[in-house]
Amino acid sequence: MKRLLTGLLTLSFVLALCSGATWLNPFNLSGIERDILLELRLPRVLFSAVIGAMLALSGSVYQLTLRNPLADSFTTGTASSAALGAVLGIACGLPVALVPLLALFTGLGGLLLVYRLSVKAGVINPVTMILAGVVVNIVASAVISFSKFYFEESLSSIVFWLMGGFFVVDWPRLFICALLLFFCFILLQRNALQLNLLAFDEASARTMGVNVARLRALSFFLATLLVAVAVSHTGIIGFVGLITPHMARSLYGSDMKHNLTASTLLGALLLMLADAGARSIIPGGAELPVGIVTALLGGVFFLYLLRTRRDRLWHG
Amino acid sequence: MAEITIRDLHFKRGDFQLQLAAVKVAAGEKIAILGENGSGKSTLLQLLTGLLASRNAISYAGQRLEHLSMLQRARCFSLLPQQAEVIFPFSVFEVILLGRFARMQGQSPAEADQQATRQLVQQLELDDLATRNFNQLSGGEQRRVMLARVLNQQARILFLDEPNASLDVRHSLEIFDYLRRQQHTLIAPVHDINLAAQFFQRFWLFKQGHLLADVSRSDLTCELLSETFNVKVSTVADSFLFSR
Repeated sequence: MKRLLTGLLTLSFVLALCSGATWLNPFNLSGIERDILLELRLPRVLFSAVIGAMLALSGSVYQLTLRNPLADSFTTGTASSAALGAVLGIACGLPVALVPLLALFTGLGGLLLVYRLSVKAGVINPVTMILAGVVVNIVASAVISFSKFYFEESLSSIVFWLMGGFFVVDWPRLFICALLLFFCFILLQRNALQLNLLAFDEASARTMGVNVARLRALSFFLATLLVAVAVSHTGIIGFVGLITPHMARSLYGSDMKHNLTASTLLGALLLMLADAGARSIIPGGAELPVGIVTALLGGVFFLYLLRTRRDRLWHG
Repeated sequence: MAEITIRDLHFKRGDFQLQLAAVKVAAGEKIAILGENGSGKSTLLQLLTGLLASRNAISYAGQRLEHLSMLQRARCFSLLPQQAEVIFPFSVFEVILLGRFARMQGQSPAEADQQATRQLVQQLELDDLATRNFNQLSGGEQRRVMLARVLNQQARILFLDEPNASLDVRHSLEIFDYLRRQQHTLIAPVHDINLAAQFFQRFWLFKQGHLLADVSRSDLTCELLSETFNVKVSTVADSFLFSR
């Protein structure tokens, strides 16, 4: 299985490198094509892989800590809350380096609001959580749209940006995101055994020896940090974090030691392919925001989950 | 020194109040908590395990509950809640193995943890279920697996909230017989009074949040049970018979 995943990841990487407005044959490249491949497509494909991995890792953590198979950065309202912070930061002329910080702040605010609304006596109601997430999404989107009117000049590309896509790609951004992904992955992986206990009901988890409140707070922070930084650079790319943990669970079981790794790799794979599709689907070199592709995939998957897990969702 | 000491325990939630003046539990004692629904049995377990704050009223081997870390607590006592559950498809073996978390030293279970879990699975005759998805088991099977998870924690004290809920007669008898033979201190709310009378030595009778009586088996009389449950109680061939 691990070999299969590594093989698929390599294949997707090569496929994504070759795909685009024109198909590049890696065995027969002209000088210009080599420049396109190395200067444009390589950082773009790597960036999509890192962002996909970040979103998937956060989804794996959200689903476990919120005990909800429908949870990810999009359905919890975290991504749109973080986007709101990023948009306000950009509109108010905040230095670029501080934009992700504001996104983290508002993202955490959105997540905690949804969490507080859906938890009662230590038990999270999964349906209330999704409804609260929808409300946070709507409110955040409304404020973002209002910002577009109010700060028209500085936010002229906001609609395009909110769909989520890789519009500005450079090596420094890629390096920062990769470093953050590595840092969060290592921290979460070190706590993988403890994270497994969060799959139990709160009373069991607490009496099995885990400090649930502290572990949940750390998980929320790391997952939201990943989302905030991803959203600050690419806008809202929904559903990657919803789909991949389920795929990972089907392939490698529910143990978080495996799920964190497999979700991360599958997220990289999924977004590389989705971005390759978004770059190739419109003839003539035009590009679709990748958020549209993932929203289509994720929307169908969400409906599938709602149908198959309906009873469990309603009865908590 | 007593294994568990409770002194001046007061708890209030809405209209409900739970009070316990002074109780001591010796190591190895098996105590059944009897009482009507809502009499405070589960609340007492939540207080004893620190899930609800008890304000320094509870000590374990002389150490106040509040001074024990989560890991120390898990090594001291384990809890089977009334509604124990696991989200996502974990296997039965994984669920039971995770019970040893407080004993695990590294980032993942050691061979000794796996070995001890395999032994327990055999002892409790769960071999056939070991590889199955926990969430696809029947209610009774899930209860047995959760009980195994609690035992695998290897704590000195077991708090089991209705351990035989959803279990058939044979499995109820087997589990209580198994628990009686262990050296653990056991405190368990039990609804089947005849089963409790058969397997436990000491009985706490609760009524509206108060400890009505703390008695041994020989002192568990029809009058006491009648007062606890507001029903008529008689005995037939050493069993209690209840009628309205």
